[in-house]
Amino acid sequence: PELPVLERKNWLIYLLYVRRDYDECKALIKEQLQESHGLCEYAVYVQALIFRLEGKIQESLELFQTCSILNPRSTDNLKQVARSLFLLGKHKAAIEVYNEAAKLDEKDWEISHNLGVCYMYLKHFNKARDQLNNALELSRHDLTYMMLGKIHLLEGEMEKAIEVYKKAVEFSPENADLLTTLGLLYLQLGDYQKAFEHLGNALTYDPGNYKATLAAGSMMQAHGDFDVALSKYRVIASTVPESPPLWNNIGMCFFGKKKYVAAISCLKRANYLAPFDWKILYNLGLVHLTMQQYASAFHFLSAAINFQPKMGELYMLLAVALTNLEDIENAKLSYEQAVALDKCNPLVNLNYAVLLYNQGDKKGALCQYQEMEKKVNALKESSTLDFDPEMVEVAQKLGAALQVGESLVWTKSSKESKSKQKAALSGKSSSTQQPLGSNQALGQAMSSAAGYGKTMQLPSGAGAPAPLAKSPSLPLEPEPGSEMSPEETSAPAAAE
Amino acid sequence: HQSRCGGTAGGMGLEPEPLFQAWSYFRRRKFRQCSDLCSQLLEGPSGEQAAWSLKTRALTEMVYVDEIDMDQEEIAEMVLDENAIAQVARPGTSLKLPGTSQGGGPSPAVRPVTQSGRPITGFVRPSTQSGRPSTMEQAINTPLTARPITSASGRYIRLGTASMITNPDGPFINLSRLNLAKYAQKPKLAKALFEYIFHHENDVKNALHLAALATEHAQFKDWWWKVQIGKCYYRLGLYREAEKQFKSALKQQDMVDTVLYLAKVYLRLDQPVTALNLFKQGLDRFPGEVTLICGIARIHEEMSNISSAAEYYKDVLKQDNTHVEAIACIGSNHFYSDQPEIALRFYRRLLQMGVYNCQLFNNLGLCCFYAQQYDMTLSSFERALFLAENEEETADVWYNLGHVAVGVGDLSLAYQCFKLTLVNNNDCAEAYNNLAVLEMRKGHIEQARALLQTASSLAPHMYEPHFNFAVLSEKVGDLQRSYTAAQKSEEAFPGHVDTQQLIKQLKQHFAML
Repeated sequence: PELPVLERKNWLIYLLYVRRDYDECKALIKEQLQESHGLCEYAVYVQALIFRLEGKIQESLELFQTCSILNPRSTDNLKQVARSLFLLGKHKAAIEVYNEAAKLDEKDWEISHNLGVCYMYLKHFNKARDQLNNALELSRHDLTYMMLGKIHLLEGEMEKAIEVYKKAVEFSPENADLLTTLGLLYLQLGDYQKAFEHLGNALTYDPGNYKATLAAGSMMQAHGDFDVALSKYRVIASTVPESPPLWNNIGMCFFGKKKYVAAISCLKRANYLAPFDWKILYNLGLVHLTMQQYASAFHFLSAAINFQPKMGELYMLLAVALTNLEDIENAKLSYEQAVALDKCNPLVNLNYAVLLYNQGDKKGALCQYQEMEKKVNALKESSTLDFDPEMVEVAQKLGAALQVGESLVWTKSSKESKSKQKAALSGKSSSTQQPLGSNQALGQAMSSAAGYGKTMQLPSGAGAPAPLAKSPSLPLEPEPGSEMSPEETSAPAAAE
Repeated sequence: HQSRCGGTAGGMGLEPEPLFQAWSYFRRRKFRQCSDLCSQLLEGPSGEQAAWSLKTRALTEMVYVDEIDMDQEEIAEMVLDENAIAQVARPGTSLKLPGTSQGGGPSPAVRPVTQSGRPITGFVRPSTQSGRPSTMEQAINTPLTARPITSASGRYIRLGTASMITNPDGPFINLSRLNLAKYAQKPKLAKALFEYIFHHENDVKNALHLAALATEHAQFKDWWWKVQIGKCYYRLGLYREAEKQFKSALKQQDMVDTVLYLAKVYLRLDQPVTALNLFKQGLDRFPGEVTLICGIARIHEEMSNISSAAEYYKDVLKQDNTHVEAIACIGSNHFYSDQPEIALRFYRRLLQMGVYNCQLFNNLGLCCFYAQQYDMTLSSFERALFLAENEEETADVWYNLGHVAVGVGDLSLAYQCFKLTLVNNNDCAEAYNNLAVLEMRKGHIEQARALLQTASSLAPHMYEPHFNFAVLSEKVGDLQRSYTAAQKSEEAFPGHVDTQQLIKQLKQHFAML
């Protein structure tokens, strides 16, 4: 009688496993284990892999440990034990086991990569970076690039992250995820050309990509192509019907097309789905200001301030709402807060100046006007932003009223400015101080705020002081609390 | 002036005759006085059948509940009873598969659900089922119907005993001594006696006996007796026999009642399509009958076909514009489809009609808030709190106030509100979930985790706690728990995109070497 060969049917087990014929594979494994009294290493190994695929990590960990007892010299077994530990969230233990495995085999990229990821979870970013770079030297993989980029982003180094992603895209130019992430990063830096290029590439490879579509749509919105953006959104709206960012962007599209009621209903749906999202609340406040519904605007803006207290524009809009609710004292306080928080948006100072001027405080108005001039000049030097024509107009009127208007040189409309100034002056002489105080002027200031909002893109990172509304599609990872329970147990209205 | 009138009446000795007085009391629905007077009459010269019959009727009317609206399935019937013919029915033809016919109603992400996929209704009837448990154990552990559930036909018993308490000298009629055969000969007495036995004593067996004898005496030509026999069979659980009686009664005489009873039988047999056809035939005979249209709407609602249910409720309102159930259902429907303003109008209509209870003000408050009518919001909630009759209702109001606080952005107020919800009702899974979300925002991961676990064990049919737990675990790196939670979330709400993405991501982790 011949002695039974332990590993006789490994080929069959492997074949079944690779074909995903798990039921049959399990049956065969059971048979093999009975025959070999549990000594068949490969059978145990594959059984553990199947358990892991089914989500039973604890069981798979035990089996892999059995494997490494059966064959302590194998790197694979140790690696799998460590992997199971990692999946269970025991990162420190996983690192220890990986280190043992690394002693057995030093030229394995997987070990380095996984060590890097473990260190990342433990927030040891330096070690993580070293390990991941090591892994890249051994063998390049998309995943490693992703993780490295993520670490750079976590540490706040956008430039380095972009470098990493660039290399990654060079290495595998057809990976839609990488392309999307790179596009989003460019978007945050304001490099629209490159962002559009990469997002477009991502969409050619994966036309239904939710993130890329949202980002591309928001870029189109930024340039005023609302209809095109809407058609983009329509593509994904059926697959992701309950996405707050999507509804937010759709709402802002309608806002751009001056369909305010539709905009409000879209934004309110977004707000219902994500009550903690300050961007949606901000946009709701903005739309209601435009609709001249100041009570609602105040409500939404103050809610937004509660969620995002460090933003100048929010206080400015709140002050505009308060001015119209005839609460001048609080409006002034709110403007003070806005001016203190804001560093680069001239609108804040302009609106404050208008308020002060209307209250008869010419000195304060002049002060704010000068502040605004400073900001405008700084902005002109730093970038090529176009100023909203309405804002320019109001500023010129105010400047004329305060008799300081000449010094300010606006980028575009400087030629026409003189004639306009004259008009403003003549208007002023006929009805003293009125033109600025009317709702009309404030309304213009507001709508220019809206226009200003449209031209800016927001970075994803929380706490970044930069601007406005719309397109929160960007989050590279979902915000922690973004999926709140939206249910209202509106207690059923029972009969009497 | 008044006293003189009274004086003359007394003086002239126009004291009305006692039997006439009792009869008049009965017609004015003063049953207590009527019954007392009859008792006096019966103590006098005995054997006056008129007084006896009047007293039975008065006693019956005191506890009378319309049999059509009394539809309570008990645990035993839900789990152990197998009346449905098809075990695996085609989608859209059965009441037992919730959420099969997606009639374009709002998804669970918008409208809360009761048990695995049935959206909450706008109007709680005694017969509201909203999902059924699959095992005995599950049935004991979960609350399902509008009233506390009983093990078997408990509500009927409770009604019977309640009426016993009102008679201190014991029961009015001793059923065991009654010669039913004799009474069956006299139809006028028999009908009143049957109603007494059925509604007051809840003695279905004796009632059936009497009805059988009476219908024999009437030579099977009285539809009323057939319907009564059908009712008895229905209560005894003999649905096919009941169906036969009702059908035969319908052949003799078209009555709305009979149609409703027959539809009830079909619903119990889990044949909603037959019931719908029956209702439509009934509508041909009685065009515009409100109860029939309402019945159709209820069936559509039970099958989670909200949009066509709303259509039928609108038809109801065209006939009867004060129908509370239709108004409430349409109102809640509008609320959950992004139209709180219209919902507000429907609920205000209810308020104008004089409905004055906690739930209505609660709903009014919610509608006002979401329709941006900020002046009415908090006062409505205050009144709801004032009108709340028990702790569950108070808890619901505090829960909604918490949502308002979240909408205003005042998270500490929201936190307090949800805490108060839990103080009032310790089993409110939604409040646990929302508290956990607030804790998560503060960064207290361990608390959030514990709260989410409580929430998901209290309400396994809600997807939110599962999903939140999955996201939380994924963040920490515990992928196994995240996977199990995500799977539960997908089970509770199969169309949830974020869950699907999470599962896909986790599976990639598991498959990777």
